[in-house]
Amino acid sequence: MTGLDDPILPTSIAWGLLAAFSVLWVVLGWWLGRRNKTAEDHMLAGRNVGLALATATAMATWVTANTTMTAPQLALQLGVWGMLGYSLGALGLILFAPLARRIRELMPRGFTSGDFIRLRFGTFTWRVFLVVSLIYAFGWLVSMAMAGGVLINALAGIDYRVGMTVILTVCVIYTLLGGLRAVIGTDFIQTIIIIAGAAFIAWLTIDKVGFEAIHFNLMEERPELLSLLFPAAIMFLFNNLLFGVGEIFHSNVWWSRAFAFGRNVGFRAYLFGGLLWLSIPIVAGFIALATPALGINVPAADMVGPLVAAEVLGLTGAIVVFIVVFAALASSLDSLLAATSDLVTRDIYRGHIRPRASEQHQFRATKVIVVLLGLLTWLAASYRGEIPIVGSLAELLYFTGAFVASAIWPIVAGLYWKQANPQGAAWSMILGSGIGLASYFLIGFYVAALVGAAVSLAVMVLATWLAPRPFDWDRLAREDTHAMGSPA
Amino acid sequence: MTISTTALSIIVVIATLVATLTPILLIALFIRDWKKGRLW
Repeated sequence: MTGLDDPILPTSIAWGLLAAFSVLWVVLGWWLGRRNKTAEDHMLAGRNVGLALATATAMATWVTANTTMTAPQLALQLGVWGMLGYSLGALGLILFAPLARRIRELMPRGFTSGDFIRLRFGTFTWRVFLVVSLIYAFGWLVSMAMAGGVLINALAGIDYRVGMTVILTVCVIYTLLGGLRAVIGTDFIQTIIIIAGAAFIAWLTIDKVGFEAIHFNLMEERPELLSLLFPAAIMFLFNNLLFGVGEIFHSNVWWSRAFAFGRNVGFRAYLFGGLLWLSIPIVAGFIALATPALGINVPAADMVGPLVAAEVLGLTGAIVVFIVVFAALASSLDSLLAATSDLVTRDIYRGHIRPRASEQHQFRATKVIVVLLGLLTWLAASYRGEIPIVGSLAELLYFTGAFVASAIWPIVAGLYWKQANPQGAAWSMILGSGIGLASYFLIGFYVAALVGAAVSLAVMVLATWLAPRPFDWDRLAREDTHAMGSPA
Repeated sequence: MTISTTALSIIVVIATLVATLTPILLIALFIRDWKKGRLW
């Protein structure tokens, strides 16, 4: 997959690191989750997460394998704008800060993004939203599991399916044992590891290579990477921005945190998390610009980060990269498993199958669903390339772009626009996803999110302008407080 | 129009400084929350 003949890390060391960190995450997950007694404890970590853990989990979840591996790749392909454009993904977190505060105020007892859509827009729109949200969540889960297998294989030569199975199993076990509390607790340590590791490699690259040499060699060999007028890179910047905002606004990964963070914590956590996250793609991406100065031949663009780290630091660099990548993968996979299982438990199991499910039923159901999700993800990731649309990471992500972007405006309108039309919200997601997907196949992968968002906005505005439907905001808190353990 | 060495180094050094200080800031926040009983 990567085109590398020799892995940068000996397999025996990689297995030792995998074993050590797997044990650490599982033990920590069990320890953190040992006092979870109710579905609310398990799903929302007691609804009073403090600023430190909240900021770290927002950052860790948004640092995926893409951030640590694709940021250097983009810097190598798109130059300075590649790393700066990727860092604008932080705007998704920053813009979600006021939404998180609004969500917590409107629904102090809410559980999922589905709860909000159901109460705000009614059953039809809720079902449309669930389809959109679950397709995206599952796509992201599979892409992260695939990334795990690919990266472990590329870094250490461990078989793709074995590496993918190990990382997925570890994440399923500790999410199962500790729920959101385990996810947030491990995220804190994973954030420290990821950021400290990336900064360590960047400082050593600056020290050993230096800006003068990096700039001089780039001007000689790849001057376009230093260009401030690189059209493809500027297009990427806007595409990434839109995709990031869509991902965060609709996904239950971020909504469940908004419900779980303590009062007055959500706004600051997302704002700080976003501001601090801005630096990560620049730090991770910058090291790729040193390849001409280091004389590194890069056989596969997505492996440029590890190659530079190994060149600058030798075995230590390879170990640091492996640990950072493992932490980045786990921090996203666990969040997705927890948030998606919550959505399935609340909105599918309780919402459609057992409306009178007690809290204990839901507590048990959410654990079964985590295991089932893990199995489904494993099956899809195992047969990558054999399922037509699950070809590669990038294809899968761009494919889900239309779904993601079509949900931005119904969410924003639902939270802030009193007159927003519920049917308009449903049709903006249906038409936005449909036409966005059509543009994916008919025009190109790069327009799916853009078209999806534009169509969705037009439908939402038009429907509300033609048929405004005033909404009583207090209904959200009133109905939501009676939601648990009662019929939907 | 290309970015100068100075501009590139300023952007990267600031980002690396922020990244270096972030773990320290998070640990300081953690200790503050822990002392006040506001971790969870």
